[in-house]
This record gives sequence, structure tokens and C-alpha cells, in this order.
Amino acid sequence: MRVRINGEDLPFVSLMTVAALIAQRKILPETVVVEHNGAILARDKWEATVLKENDTLEILSFVGGG
Amino acid sequence: MEDPLIIAGYAIKNRFFLGTGKFASYPLMRDAIIASRAHIVTVALRRVDTQSPHDNILEYISKECIIMANTSGARNADEAIRIARIARAAGCGNWIKIEVIPDNKYLLPDNAQTIRATEVLAREGFIVMPYVNPDLADARRLCDAGAASIMPLGAPIGTNKGVCMRELIKILVQEISLPIVVDAGIGRPSHAAEAMELGAAAVLVNTAVATAQNPVLTAQAFSLAVKAGRIAYRAGVVSPKDKAEASSPLTGFLR
Repeated sequence: MRVRINGEDLPFVSLMTVAALIAQRKILPETVVVEHNGAILARDKWEATVLKENDTLEILSFVGGG
Repeated sequence: MEDPLIIAGYAIKNRFFLGTGKFASYPLMRDAIIASRAHIVTVALRRVDTQSPHDNILEYISKECIIMANTSGARNADEAIRIARIARAAGCGNWIKIEVIPDNKYLLPDNAQTIRATEVLAREGFIVMPYVNPDLADARRLCDAGAASIMPLGAPIGTNKGVCMRELIKILVQEISLPIVVDAGIGRPSHAAEAMELGAAAVLVNTAVATAQNPVLTAQAFSLAVKAGRIAYRAGVVSPKDKAEASSPLTGFLR
């Protein structure tokens, strides 16, 4: 299974939820926003959202900017 | 508070706004914010590097500050709208600086797309601060679209050239009732003071502070210059004249 995460196609061997992915990547959940197939995915939905083939995920956070 | 700046009903405590990009480190950025006493600071939204854990910029910004996300990276209205919605979902409130830039060489904004994004986002309850080329007709359209202020560029982003758009900004100040915030291109505290003397309501600076030898002192200098320029504007400072005019009395000489 392939999932596009932040513009990169990544292979997945097993089913994974968004919450598990965030934890696996050691990302602090409270610092990011997730967009799932173009729609904002509220944090309380991460646990119930299982990544599927060809899903697109954007994981974003604030950085310095003018 | 004397001479308060009100934007969208909020009393803004400092007319100097600070951008947080290009600082060598987040602690340095934090110290610059503190030194300037900026009340409004801007941030950007970017993809997380999923390979390496990241530092959270928000931990370095005082809770007293209004955090205004920008839509940098947007090349059209739809992208700006998308970024604004994501920024709000990230929990930083309703303030959004709309920045729609289709041009990579001069980083000049697209006014038409900015107006369109402003309409949509103002309707959704955002406090919309559009970054635009200083054009009177477009500024009026932005007022109608529900903007909370107009943010004309002084000069292209990061050029440090000062208030090159001086005459056009002056017209906006005279004709537009919304606060005019001069954003981009301001290189020196004297430029910031000049913008304020023209009647700008506030000034937003980033590059000139973040890339200075001492960003903390520079932030402080800008903040003071903005205050001085504002007071000068309110005081009604004099205009230049072509002929000399003696300061001392021209009667009662000893000769």
C-alpha cells in the first residue's frame, strides 16, 4: 500500500491509523495539523482514521514567517 | 490607552508588528519579540519534516501576542483560503495575513486573487489582513470584501529599500478608513518612522530585524522608531520649503 505524505509516496506494509503514524514519526500531536485527502482532519478523528491505498496526507506546523 | 490602534475591535498595544522568519534560532526570535514588545507577530505554515523531530515555534512566542498566520506559499486565492483554514484549525485564532504571490522574482502580490480570498475568509469570520500592492481602487474593494486592515508593501519583500511606494501609501492613508499597515521592504528604523509619519497605522518588519547583526537591539530600535513616527504624525510635523526661513528674529540686530 502506498500513501502520499507531505508530497512523498511512502510504502506501508500494514494498516495504520493517523494517530499511530504521528506517534511513530515522533511528532508532537499538539504542534501539527493534518489534512487528509484535502480536508482538515480533527485531532479526535486521528485514532479512528485508517490510512488507505492512495490516500494523501499533509502534516503541517507553524514555522517562522513574515 | 492613549492613541490606541484598533483592528477588528481589538486594541493593539504596539504599532510595530514583527515577522518571525529568518531568525538564526527560536530563542533569538523570542528575545527580539520581547525587546520590541510587539503585540502582533506573524508565522507561516509548512510541511513537517517527518524524518526529524521539530521544535515548536509557538512555545517561543508569548501568550500575550496575537499570532497572525500568513498564507505564504499561496499562488492563488484558493490556496490562500486553504492555508487560512488549516492555520485556524491549528488553533492560533482568526487572524490571517493573506499573501498571494504568483511571482518568484519580485514576490509581488496578486491583488485580484487577494481580494477574492479576503471575501471568502472574512465571511468565514477571519480577521483578514491582506498584503497588497498599494492601489486605491483595490483597497476600496478590500474594504467592501471585509478586510480588517490594508497592508501595502513599502518595497518588495526582503529588499530593505524602505517606503518606495510612499506617494501611493499616502493616498491610501488619506482615502481609506481602515488601518494602513506598511508591510515589506522596510530596512531601517528610519524607514519605519517615515511610514508612520505618513500616517500609517502600523508597520510590519521581518527581514530587517531577523538578519541584522543584533536582531534584539534592532527590534527595539524599530519599535521606538515606530512610536516616534506615530507621535510625529499626530503632532503635525512641518513640510519642506524651497526657501530658507530664519529661526531667529530678523529684527533688533546689534548693528
